[in-house]
Amino acid sequence: MLHSRDISEIGRSAKSYCEHTARTQPTLSDIVVTLVEMGFNVETLPAYAKRSQRMVITAPPVTNQPVTPKALTAGQNKPHPPHIPGHFPEFPDPHTYIKTPTYREPVSDYQVLREKAASQRRDVERALTRFMAKTGETQSLFKDDVSTFPLIAARPFTVPYLTALLPSELEMQQMEETDSSEQDEQTDTENLPLHMSTDDAGPEKENTSVLQQNSSLAGSRNGEENVIDNPYLRPVKKPKIRRKK
Amino acid sequence: MNRKKGDKGFESPRPYKLTHQVVCINNINFQRKSVVGYVELTIFPTVANLNRIKLNSKQCRIYRVRVNDLEAAFIYNDPTLEVCHHESKQRNLNYFSNAYAAAVSAVDPDAGNGELCIKVPSELWKHVDELKVLKVHINFSLDQPKGGLHFVVPNMEGNMAERGAHVFSCGYQNSTRFWFPCVDSYSELCTWKLEYTVDAAMVAVSNGDLVETVYTHDMRKKTFHYMLTIPTAASNISLAIGPFEILVDPYMHEVTHFCLPQLLPLLKHTTSYLHEVFEFYEEILTCRYPYSCFKTVFIDEAYVEVAAYASMSIFSTNLLHSAMIIDETPLTRRCLAQALAQQFFGCFISRMSWSDEWVLKGISGYIYGLWMKKTFGVNEYRHWIKQELDQIVAYELKTGGVLLHPIFGGGKEKDNPASHLHFSIKHPHTLSWEYYTMFQCKAHLVMRLIENRISMEFMLQVFNKLLSLASTASSQKFQSHMWSQMLVSTSGFLKSISNVSGKDIQPLIKQWVDQSGVVKFYGSFAFNRKRNVLELEIKQDYTSPGTQKYVGPLKVTVQELDGSFNHTLQIEENSLKHDIPCHSKSRRNKKKKIPLMNGEEVDMDLSAMDADSPLLWIRIDPDMSVLRKVEFEQSDFMWQYQLRYERDVVAQEEAILALEKFPTPASRLALTDILEQEQCFYRVRMLACFCLAKIANSMVSTWTGPPAMKSLFTRMFCCKTCPNIVKTNNFMNFQSYFLQKTMPVAMALLRDVHNLCPKEVLMFILDLIKYNDNRKNKFSDNYYRAELIDALANSVTPAVSVNNEVRTLDNLNPDVRLILEEITRFLNMEKLLPSYRHTITVSCLKAIRVLQKNGHVPSDPALFKSYAEYGHFVDVRIAALEAVVDYTKVDRSYEELQWLLTMVQNDPVPYIRHKILDMLTKNPPFTKNMESPLCNEALVDQLWKLMNSGTSHDWRLRCGAVDLYFTLFGLSRPSCLPLPELGLVLNLKEKKAVLNPTIIPESVANNQEPVNSTNNHGQSVGFQNTFSNSQEEEEIDMDTVHDSQAFIYHHLNMLERPSTPGKEQSSGEINMHPVSAAPLSVFSKESNSSKHSDHHHHHHHEHKKKKKKHKHKHKHKHKHDTKEKEKDPFVFSNSPASARSIRSPSLSD
Repeated sequence: MLHSRDISEIGRSAKSYCEHTARTQPTLSDIVVTLVEMGFNVETLPAYAKRSQRMVITAPPVTNQPVTPKALTAGQNKPHPPHIPGHFPEFPDPHTYIKTPTYREPVSDYQVLREKAASQRRDVERALTRFMAKTGETQSLFKDDVSTFPLIAARPFTVPYLTALLPSELEMQQMEETDSSEQDEQTDTENLPLHMSTDDAGPEKENTSVLQQNSSLAGSRNGEENVIDNPYLRPVKKPKIRRKK
Repeated sequence: MNRKKGDKGFESPRPYKLTHQVVCINNINFQRKSVVGYVELTIFPTVANLNRIKLNSKQCRIYRVRVNDLEAAFIYNDPTLEVCHHESKQRNLNYFSNAYAAAVSAVDPDAGNGELCIKVPSELWKHVDELKVLKVHINFSLDQPKGGLHFVVPNMEGNMAERGAHVFSCGYQNSTRFWFPCVDSYSELCTWKLEYTVDAAMVAVSNGDLVETVYTHDMRKKTFHYMLTIPTAASNISLAIGPFEILVDPYMHEVTHFCLPQLLPLLKHTTSYLHEVFEFYEEILTCRYPYSCFKTVFIDEAYVEVAAYASMSIFSTNLLHSAMIIDETPLTRRCLAQALAQQFFGCFISRMSWSDEWVLKGISGYIYGLWMKKTFGVNEYRHWIKQELDQIVAYELKTGGVLLHPIFGGGKEKDNPASHLHFSIKHPHTLSWEYYTMFQCKAHLVMRLIENRISMEFMLQVFNKLLSLASTASSQKFQSHMWSQMLVSTSGFLKSISNVSGKDIQPLIKQWVDQSGVVKFYGSFAFNRKRNVLELEIKQDYTSPGTQKYVGPLKVTVQELDGSFNHTLQIEENSLKHDIPCHSKSRRNKKKKIPLMNGEEVDMDLSAMDADSPLLWIRIDPDMSVLRKVEFEQSDFMWQYQLRYERDVVAQEEAILALEKFPTPASRLALTDILEQEQCFYRVRMLACFCLAKIANSMVSTWTGPPAMKSLFTRMFCCKTCPNIVKTNNFMNFQSYFLQKTMPVAMALLRDVHNLCPKEVLMFILDLIKYNDNRKNKFSDNYYRAELIDALANSVTPAVSVNNEVRTLDNLNPDVRLILEEITRFLNMEKLLPSYRHTITVSCLKAIRVLQKNGHVPSDPALFKSYAEYGHFVDVRIAALEAVVDYTKVDRSYEELQWLLTMVQNDPVPYIRHKILDMLTKNPPFTKNMESPLCNEALVDQLWKLMNSGTSHDWRLRCGAVDLYFTLFGLSRPSCLPLPELGLVLNLKEKKAVLNPTIIPESVANNQEPVNSTNNHGQSVGFQNTFSNSQEEEEIDMDTVHDSQAFIYHHLNMLERPSTPGKEQSSGEINMHPVSAAPLSVFSKESNSSKHSDHHHHHHHEHKKKKKKHKHKHKHKHKHDTKEKEKDPFVFSNSPASARSIRSPSLSD
């Protein structure tokens, strides 16, 4: 009779042999060598297998799995992926692990979007200006009413040209944003139908060309700076008399 | 031609030649707004007996004059300070203008005169006789100059450099005398050495090459040394000092740009284009830029947008812009190009005399036009020419003519070539600003006519010749006849043209340059079917003011079915009708394509045509080769064909204007087609918008479909899916951008049957504002938003007023409420996120004024007055002031008028002062033929004072005041004044009952011949006689002694300053600095004599006063007085007021 110890020894040795020959799955010959090594007469095996009073082990009786009530299933259970053997239990019902983020259906209607953006901006602006008007000095168009159309009072600047000429911070920000997407906009212009007659396209064409020049200019400038000889860049001289001393 | 003897030489009006001048400004105080410095002029006498040197100087305080290191006495007399000295009650503009012209003449450097007269010390007389060099050294200072130099000192914390304080020279024409003594003429050239010592944080920019910059010993200041070796007129010398940021042009290292702190990024962008302008001019002129360097300076509170000086230009800082700004870009580039054109013609090449100014302005304007053509295209160029032509034509018809080359025969009043004007055109300084702008406009148009005649190639050869002669001359050492090659004269220019081209352009010059006026054509035609001939009738109006008769060739272009044909008609004295044979038989072959002028062949729908006639359209003078206005009659379908198929933008614009009179569905269709055509020039399309609005209004009862342009706008600019929402802004295509801006403005002009703006249109515009989204746009939308506000303003119609109720919120029209809501929000947002040049504020202010004017909002100037204050951006101030001016007119407010006039006198910004007068003249509170409560004696006195003495520091302002006075009161005595009693007496005596008694000058005017040869006299007298003569001469400068009193009074005022080094004479009679012993004796004698005559005059004066009381009794006495005066050699002279009044036109006939 075979001991369970022997069986495990056979398995272990067979695995060792197979690994020794750089394989992963033991073959028949590995087992034969193992048995031989253990001092087992292999040749007796076929006769032993064909013995008359051999015991037959029947397959375990199949018990019916309890049927889960329909009401509780939610969705289709996921089939096993190939790396999980078929006998493993099935996945649980999807509702136990699938997450469903809940938000309202996104508004994709362009018209509504524009409408919203416009009124939102308008509300913000109105609220802001009203606040500014309430907290500061105001002017009014109607003598009897100062609150319906409050105008923030005009206040003179010390240097009026600065605010008038320099782009506001918001615009600067926009500039940067559009600059980063300039690449595709440039191509956009090229794609624009060039239907303008050569006569009147003058200012437009230049404008774009200047924009391009400008960016190239910034690069080339640094290198040149050292070479430029301009009287306004020369160092200021020390007074002459001091030099004589 | 009034050339001075021969073409070769330029004869200087001065008895000496200036060769070199040093200007040294060693102290500039921004806090006190003062300047201290000296000048040194190197002069060579050209006559042996030169004993006095006349120079120009205004408002400078002169401490000391030395000639070759010897102290010299000097007299300072400026008759332009107060034009009419007597507290005269004349108040008539004719009188004033004559007196003013005389005053300007009296100090005109081109006539050898000047305000400052320096006596050559007697020790040097021998030296002078040998014609040896004299060095005139003048120490001077300027304290709070009101003109010539402008200080900008922001009121804030920090030192001057941190505050961005700066100063620059400015002025109209030759105004250099306002900031240093010089020969302020464009014809006196010399080399220059300029030195400015400024704070170490500042930069001084001036003419010529910066040789070196040296620290002062305390290292706190530095001195900028400039050398200008090219002979240059003092009038072309300029200066700008400030804490400028410096940018060397990356393309041309000899070009340097300067701007105020923080604006460097804008400067970089703005000037990045300049090198192309340089290249263009150098190429067409085949001549290098004449100076070795060029500087552009951008400053605040500019006098004019562009001012060109030798090797530098001063620009308004408001021309700077970033890459996001569309609208300003072409405007700024134009300014740069203009400035550069004037570097060649105007700065490098100067003029011989004022009457040659047109050549310089003409050439610089002409080459600027060539640049426009190359840069912006032929369409833009032709559009511009048409615009300029329309302007000059309108101005000449209004005022009676612009004369480019005035010829003054001997200075006689009768020969005054511009008697139709209320000012003299003899001097640039007496000229109305508007006249001068129109003068420049006409000059370049005439240059274009010359080009048409001799071809552009020859034209450019002529310019090249002028330039190369000048540059040869400029490199020469001082030789007077060589340097005069750098001066251009009319005759020299014409000679050059005839040499180069071999063509005679004399008739052209005679027509447009030597005489004023434009041509007015009326054309109509009939088609004679039998003869297959076009019978064209061309009439002229040459009797109205500002017109002239045209005789010569005239081109007519006829578009027929078979093609376009040019015909040249000879316009002669009596021929009105011209028969032009037609080439095509009418309607032979319907299917054929129709050839156009440019060779293109097009299909046309000919169903609209007259079946009998082969004529599609006719154009008179299509090339604009005559300065004219054409009123031509042809039927509506012809205009429509012209609009659709003629390729010339000028023809298209003309057709659009003509179609306004034909409100038919066909016109509507033609205009809409043009609007949609993307190949069409954008300005034509913009114009079509406004015409379409007018036509729609005329057709209001039969109009079908949505309001004009609405569906078109929707198709072009709104989303496909939701047509009521405009696309997010994308202004990459500029043509669309301009159209998108214009269409709502034009749409808002639509009116329904009740003459109201249709609700649909208003809602549409409000939606445009609401949905405007610029986040994805590369460009700023400030101009677009501003125009949307303009559109809102355009939609406003007069309020229906019930019993003149007071406007309150409760009875506010709901539409107006919506509009106000938007305006309020926009105006308030501007405070938080200001737009470029505050365009939105400007539009809001205008819209508010429109609402006030239409009675929706109570009329009130308070808001505008707060925006008009100093410290707001200049565009905003102008818009606000315009509203105040309008308010003054509509509400006849004396208070506001006073407020405006106070600002004219006191505002720190010269441009604003000028602009207020300009706006008041254009939109006057009343005119001469109008009854108005505003028209009273006090106002007359106030304005009189303003032009008489209040504006002596700014030529432009004074002429502006004269313009306003003319508009309000006309040429003669204002009607609101009581009749002058004295004038009546004189009249009776001289038996001139026909004359209007109100325009008789004062009694001082008698039949005396004025001593007008004083200068020559003085010079011809040998110096032995000087002693005896000097008395007379001194007196001569001073008019009557009474006058001199007034004058002295002025000077005393001027001299009432603490730190006068030279002590004043105790008598205080004459402003003289007797520093050396020899002249002192002479002068003391003089002062005695003048004192004497002063007494004498007092006597006179008393008599006059008495006379007023008992006039008839003293008639005789008066006569006696006059005689007495005649005897007195000291009393009268060629002083402006008296001399002119003698020859006043009212008496001469």
